Amino acid sequence: VLIDRARAGDTNAFEDLARREERALYRHALRIVGTASDAEDVVQDALFSAWRSIASFQGLSFRAWLFRIATNRALDHLRSRKRRPELPLDPAEDEEMTWAEPAAPGPDLTQLAGDREALAFVETALETLPAEQRTALLLRDVEGFAYEEISVITSVEIGTVKSRIHRGRLAVRNVLIARGWRGPEG
Amino acid sequence: MTQHPHAELSAYIDGALTPTAQAAVEGHLVGCGLCRTHVAQLRATASLLHALPDPAPSRRLVPRFARAPAWLAPLRTLMTLATGAAVFLFIASAVLTNITFLASSGTTALSAPEAARDAAAGAPQPQAGAATTNTPTVRAPNAVGSPTSAAFGAFGSPTPPGAATVTDDAQKNRVDQASTGPSAAPAAAVAPQDAGRVASSAPQRPQLLNPWLWLVIALISAAIAFVLHRRLRASV
Repeated sequence: VLIDRARAGDTNAFEDLARREERALYRHALRIVGTASDAEDVVQDALFSAWRSIASFQGLSFRAWLFRIATNRALDHLRSRKRRPELPLDPAEDEEMTWAEPAAPGPDLTQLAGDREALAFVETALETLPAEQRTALLLRDVEGFAYEEISVITSVEIGTVKSRIHRGRLAVRNVLIARGWRGPEG
Repeated sequence: MTQHPHAELSAYIDGALTPTAQAAVEGHLVGCGLCRTHVAQLRATASLLHALPDPAPSRRLVPRFARAPAWLAPLRTLMTLATGAAVFLFIASAVLTNITFLASSGTTALSAPEAARDAAAGAPQPQAGAATTNTPTVRAPNAVGSPTSAAFGAFGSPTPPGAATVTDDAQKNRVDQASTGPSAAPAAAVAPQDAGRVASSAPQRPQLLNPWLWLVIALISAAIAFVLHRRLRASV
């Protein structure tokens, strides 16, 4: 109902809808672009642009639609930023990833959720990921989008989504293993 | 099971495989401890990602779409202009007050007996006394500023009660001038009181020349203009 009102030009309805996703969009943009002020600008621009193109909204859920606009903005921002030209946005997808194995017994990875130190390692690991992998992984594990939705949000084939999520997750897992943690026993 | 379905494990966790592929991985896991370990690790990684902190933006990111009322922009312009006008009037009245004070201190000194008589005639007793004590007081600044006050005598003389609107500013001025001479110190102590009392005896002269009034108006209109400007900028 709110969406219909927003599409009909009701600014209050749009504001209500946008405010619900404001924080999620911000944390998503923040982990893509890296700095708070850039992330705020990206989300603000994205919401403004979303309002202007509200008439073209269809198909996706409103949330996914907002994430699509914000993700595109964030990746554009990253591309336009010359400070980190060495960062590849999209590495070769067919490269075989390896599984690092724990060198020594450490704390169980499954016990680490909520452990601030482990979460800090996860943040660090995310930063080292190629932006496209990071984006797909965040959309999946933080925001909970389905593969099909991520495919539409990031405008790539579902096979690519699958690959990016797996590579990203595996890379984070490898960083944690490298930090001395032992995975849970299967 | 020789071929480990490594690349499928994340999609398996997420339930994103076709039913056939899902069942195949399921079957493999039964007999493969390594893949079971990897699945558990990937699952744990996913839940760590899910448990990441949820930072909040430092400001509101949803643009304010509510249209500002149409009168807001003209009102802001008006308040900006009012601020400018009030600042101008503040400066003008401050200058004028000083001139009037200097001029009147000259004329009052010259026509002190007359002023005393006027005051005594038109006002109750205490003010007559005030006007009388005023006579020696105003001589002190007059001694310092006589050339100037002579020059502006014509301006101040038609309205001798104009001296009554002498304000804090002028009082300070008077104190400054008075303190230039050591002998004038007692006079400075009396002067502000006199000015206040004489002012009350001349209500027909409005407070338009009070510079502080204009300063306060300038500050208020500036504040309003600023708030209106912020409000206008926040809306799209």
